[in-house]
Amino acid sequence: MFRIPSDPRKNWQQKAKDFGFSFHSMYGEPYWDESAYYQFNLQQIENDLEDPSVEIHQMCLQVVDKVVNNDALLSAFKIPEDFWQGVKDSWRKQDPSLYSRLDFAYDGSGPAKLYENNADTPTSLYESGFWQWLWLQDLVDGNQLSRQADQFNSLQEKLIARIDEIAKHYQTEHIHFACCQDTIEDRGTVQYLQDCAAESGLHAPFVFIEDIGLGESGRFTDLKNNQIDTLFKLYPWEFMQREEFGDFVESSQTNWIEPLWKSILSNKALMPMLWKMFKGHPNLLPAYFEDELHLCDHQRIVKKPIFSREGANVSILEKGQEIIHADGPYGEEGFIYQAFHPLPKFDNNYTLIGSWLVNDKAAGISVREDTSLITQDMSRYLPHIILG
Amino acid sequence: MTRKRSEQINLSRMRKHFSPKPLAIGVASVFLAACTGNRQEATIYTTPEDCAKENPEQAQVCETAYQEALAEAERTGPKYNTERDCESEFGPNQCRQVERSSGSFFMPFMAGYMLSNLLSPNRYQYQPMFTSYSPYSPYRYRWIGAGGYDYGSLGKRNHKVSPDAFKPKPAVTRTIKRGGFGSSVRAKSSWGSRSGSKGGWGG
Repeated sequence: MFRIPSDPRKNWQQKAKDFGFSFHSMYGEPYWDESAYYQFNLQQIENDLEDPSVEIHQMCLQVVDKVVNNDALLSAFKIPEDFWQGVKDSWRKQDPSLYSRLDFAYDGSGPAKLYENNADTPTSLYESGFWQWLWLQDLVDGNQLSRQADQFNSLQEKLIARIDEIAKHYQTEHIHFACCQDTIEDRGTVQYLQDCAAESGLHAPFVFIEDIGLGESGRFTDLKNNQIDTLFKLYPWEFMQREEFGDFVESSQTNWIEPLWKSILSNKALMPMLWKMFKGHPNLLPAYFEDELHLCDHQRIVKKPIFSREGANVSILEKGQEIIHADGPYGEEGFIYQAFHPLPKFDNNYTLIGSWLVNDKAAGISVREDTSLITQDMSRYLPHIILG
Repeated sequence: MTRKRSEQINLSRMRKHFSPKPLAIGVASVFLAACTGNRQEATIYTTPEDCAKENPEQAQVCETAYQEALAEAERTGPKYNTERDCESEFGPNQCRQVERSSGSFFMPFMAGYMLSNLLSPNRYQYQPMFTSYSPYSPYRYRWIGAGGYDYGSLGKRNHKVSPDAFKPKPAVTRTIKRGGFGSSVRAKSSWGSRSGSKGGWGG
């Protein structure tokens, strides 16, 4: 695994405009960065990232199976009691899931260590599935990279196929897509999934989360008063469960993507639970619930809110003293603790690997860099290749 | 060697702003092919009697399809909170009140139904049709599908339509209330230092 400087394509910004990739720079800071790329060999990809991702996903499903059948655990996972039955039902019915992203610390050798599972609302999907694919294609076509260069990235192919399966499962030709207003990154991610759905031959109308209505029929509606039967929402379950329309999540009979049972995985309580069930697994870091902190004898530990986005409210503690802290609005539901394992450093950048799953299949990786040990939403996205 | 990346990506689907010449030609020819091929004959009738007069052998199908179209009209047709809103779109006395346990709403009468494959009793297809008599409506004296598709003036009965015309339309309902999702975001956005970030509630 190397970080290799590379000449940006001359026309890439025009190209980004043509393809509607509008959040490559935000507030004057670069987000998409093709001044370098990461190079992996095939063994690193297959043995250290692909296989462990599939295995960890299966372990996560075992956690779900355990948690849904145990009220004390549902409570530890801060799932509101009104939703316990709904979460159980969606798991029992095996409501289909679309995708998730496992975040790993990995430096090219040894086991990749799992930081967390973004199983409900993962972003940087467009950059991964499409934009870095196009980058490789362009560099190979322009003889800047060898024809042998490949990429671990079958995301788009798998998303199109999976959306088609989900539509068939629910016997529908319409899937609504939703995200919040005023977030161009989320809108871009959802537009990408709409494009994938259209490629599967589906109707894929859009509605903002804030515009969703409750119909007289008991179902949710879009702004045209069309009933929403199946809804992809890039909006966290832990928010929805605590909002006014949360009362209608089940009675509306909506087919949810991601399904309700995903609220167990997109939850930092997953980490101590995985450690309890698979203690010592090479890809796991020791992790503890707040009431088990006495079991933790690590010098440095990371304190993470049960619910949070993009590194917000994460802090690093040394012998109980906070040494690094990221601000944010989260933490009211409590925290979990994870043994500190630093991100590897490449040329002064801390590098985080996101490993994508479409349903239960490993589908590619994304590489993000940050100047801080805590990767936040101003980190940069770099493309990668497989060679050798 | 098996590739670990997507084999093919449909770049024209992904393009959001059309680049100059070459693509435009490609797109135009695709549309042309889509328009000429695969069309089917369909006729709009106003009543089952109207249908049976032209198809005496198929009188039973005319009646069954009419009843099915009526049910579909109630499911997929436009719905309004007040009679006034409905009449301003469809014209005076063109709307009826529908009572449900949770309240009532107004919707236009079905003005006709479009039929296709009438001669094959198991494969006939239907869609409800609406029209407007309101001088304020762009739908005035036009045949309109439940999804708002304009099939042309009332005089035109015979159509060549794409099979999509008979695909099930999304159900339409009266919306009681909006804005029940999104409050967590409003609360967390007001938290100051997020303003410097690119936002987003994914992760």
